[in-house]
Amino acid sequence: MAILARYALRRLTRRIRRGYRWFDERTGSTQLVFKGLYEAVPKRGAWAYTLGSATLVLILLQLFTGIFLLLEYIPSFDQAWNSLDFLQTSDRFGAWVRGMHLWGAYVLILIIGLHMLRTFLSASYKRPRELNWVSGAVLFFLVLGLAITGAMLPMDDAGYWTTVVVTNIPHYIPFVGDAIRTLWRGGEFVGPVTLTRTFAIHIWILPFLLFSFIGAHLYLLRRHGEFGAWVNYELTSDDPDAEVADRVRRAEPPYPTKRIDRLYAAPRKTVEFFPNQLYKDTLVSIVLIAIIFVMGYAAGAPLDERANPATLTYVPTPEWFYLPLDQLLVLSPQAYLIGFGVFGLVGVGALAFILLPFLDRTHQRRPLRRPQVLVPGLFLALLVIVLAVLGVNRLYNL
Amino acid sequence: MTHALVAADLSPVPGNLFGNGLAVAVVALLHIQIATFITGGSTLAALSEGISIVRDDERHERFAHGMVRGMVYVFSFGSALAIFWVLWILLALWGVFFVSLTRITLWMFVFEAGAFLVEIILLYTLYANWDRLRRYRRARLGLLILFAVIDWWQMFFINVVASYMLTPNNGDTNQRAQILNPTFLPLQIHRTVGNIAWAGAVIAFYAGFSYLRSLRRARAAAPAAAPARSVGAMAARDEVAERRRYLDWMGQWGALFAVALSLFQIWIGYSYAKEVQLHAFPAWYRMMRGALSNVFLAQIFLLGMIFVIGCLYFWRRMRASGVRRLWVQKLCFTMLVLATLLAVQPSWFAQTRDDVAAAHLDRPWWDGGLLNPIGNFIPNKVLALIVLMVFGLISATSYVRAYSEGRVRVGETTRGPQVALLALGVTVSVMMIVMGVIRENSRQPYLIYGEMRLQHQQITTNGP
Repeated sequence: MAILARYALRRLTRRIRRGYRWFDERTGSTQLVFKGLYEAVPKRGAWAYTLGSATLVLILLQLFTGIFLLLEYIPSFDQAWNSLDFLQTSDRFGAWVRGMHLWGAYVLILIIGLHMLRTFLSASYKRPRELNWVSGAVLFFLVLGLAITGAMLPMDDAGYWTTVVVTNIPHYIPFVGDAIRTLWRGGEFVGPVTLTRTFAIHIWILPFLLFSFIGAHLYLLRRHGEFGAWVNYELTSDDPDAEVADRVRRAEPPYPTKRIDRLYAAPRKTVEFFPNQLYKDTLVSIVLIAIIFVMGYAAGAPLDERANPATLTYVPTPEWFYLPLDQLLVLSPQAYLIGFGVFGLVGVGALAFILLPFLDRTHQRRPLRRPQVLVPGLFLALLVIVLAVLGVNRLYNL
Repeated sequence: MTHALVAADLSPVPGNLFGNGLAVAVVALLHIQIATFITGGSTLAALSEGISIVRDDERHERFAHGMVRGMVYVFSFGSALAIFWVLWILLALWGVFFVSLTRITLWMFVFEAGAFLVEIILLYTLYANWDRLRRYRRARLGLLILFAVIDWWQMFFINVVASYMLTPNNGDTNQRAQILNPTFLPLQIHRTVGNIAWAGAVIAFYAGFSYLRSLRRARAAAPAAAPARSVGAMAARDEVAERRRYLDWMGQWGALFAVALSLFQIWIGYSYAKEVQLHAFPAWYRMMRGALSNVFLAQIFLLGMIFVIGCLYFWRRMRASGVRRLWVQKLCFTMLVLATLLAVQPSWFAQTRDDVAAAHLDRPWWDGGLLNPIGNFIPNKVLALIVLMVFGLISATSYVRAYSEGRVRVGETTRGPQVALLALGVTVSVMMIVMGVIRENSRQPYLIYGEMRLQHQQITTNGP
């Protein structure tokens, strides 16, 4: 009996192996997996690099929880609130999954912000990684877009008034503002068409763009390798030229060693992605997912009363990540100032943020040696934090 | 919720309201200048000590030590003044008000006093044992950080009281309402940032003053002095040169904090005024359109001058080091002057906006009226504030960049930049005084806004 079982098992494994060989011959999967797992990453600063992979994991978590929500949600002006109310009250795991979707978005925004801050401070956006930064910055804005369109969908009081406020913002863009508002709303006012269009933006247009840019971002990351911080490239010997030449000669894939500043061509010490970095990435992602699980269950996601467009008492408040912008709106009380403040200052700021690698062209990577970007960057970061705190204070004392 | 303005059984001290007000104003304004310097200075001292450990920089350690010594001297006088203020000015002249306020915000005063005690222990420990702690530098840094944190909390407690006096949440006296009153957070952020900027301005002033004094002494001694040929004379000359290098560096360090952190104050101050507008409209009206509107213009002028003088310092200091292509600083200077001129335009040529309306002359001056649309708050003054912020930031960044690239070298300064540092210190100091006058007078006729009147310290309501 045992001999028969062993024989059957051997045949089975042989078939599987043959099948895999067939598959591998056509797809090159083994090479792909090896390439993915056994690439060099800088040894120092490994915990800081986990933020990028955590961002990807959190986006995938949003995708999965979003698919579950889609099974119940009805994107109709009349039924949207009912479907979510049913999900919250009658579905066994509905409230939990919805809570995870909300808290997942919160944690995602926080982590992607920290990831960009790390990249900014370590000057990882410099040649040849300019497009890594551009794609990452676009991804950041896409995530913010997904978050705000998601907040509009429940069609409770908060969702409805968020829709009214947000779809009105394009109105302040000179010349084309009204046309954009009408296109989004499907008319002059918020109505059923606004919801279906916002729903389409949330689940089709923005995710399509998001995953396209994620693909590009990952490809570029693999092409140029991880750049941690200048400390990975510090010189230790008395003969810097020889040390750099030796490092470049021994550079492992994927580090490019040509046509860039030789000092920053290859890190001093590297380790293989698997198992060293992958272990840390997995650990951080598990911790974050655990936090989202707990918060999704304990705090959940709020669902206000069904939207009442005629109400005069409801005070709409923005999500926390839009508080700085909201505070800027409060401080810009007239139409032309809103146009200037929100589209002029914020627009120029956002453009400068995306195009940062093309504005900071020096070879310097040490933070203190490039104050021309560090000082304005930190100033803006602090200003955003201060505006958010002041926004919280204002809303608390409404 | 009934409020606890319960000291009505005390009788106000009969006396001259103006004289009593002046006494409290003089002592309070002096106290604020001292207390805010210590709060901001403790942060800068901790920062410098941290940098000196990380970069093994002797200059930063010397600076941190100097700050601790300076803070001890100032603190000893400031503490005596604070006690005098509480005992002799507030209790004697404003008894009903102060006892009422103490009853309402008792815990804040208790914590304030506790923080004061811890502050004394930490500061004198650091002062007396600075050299002994050289072997345990991380412990010394820990003490400095703790000192800065305690200072911040002390400011927190007193800010609860100060902001509550302006926006007392309709007399709601529970702890949460006191702490989270509408103007508390803006005031806390405003002072956190402002104290460091003020400490920077004081340091810049001290450095500039000491540098100029050293030049004057050298000039006075020059005719009589023989050429330094002896070893002792050469050592003394090296020592003077080294001290001047240190003072030059210290002036830059202070000026950068004074200018860079004041950039935040534009938005923070604007937000603070917005909260006053939303929650104490008559006070805001008095400040922006009423009797204090011209004083407010003076404050805006002084704010603009901080950036103008700061830019002038950066420009002249870069020039002293032989930096070429100074067009960025020249452009910033021009824009900052223009923005200041725009910001200080009066909106009307009268004492208050109401005077203009009463005279039926509310039309532009070119139509024979008293209004000046060029001085309108929106959008002109807002635009001027944005220009101040943007070009102030560019000016400071350009200077830091030149410094980091080694184009500005420590010690290569002249008399001009040091005079600018003196002007910077004086400007910030006067601005703090003007700001205090505006803040305290905007509440009039109230001591606690809407709750207790200035006249006879009467309580006006029994609460909602």
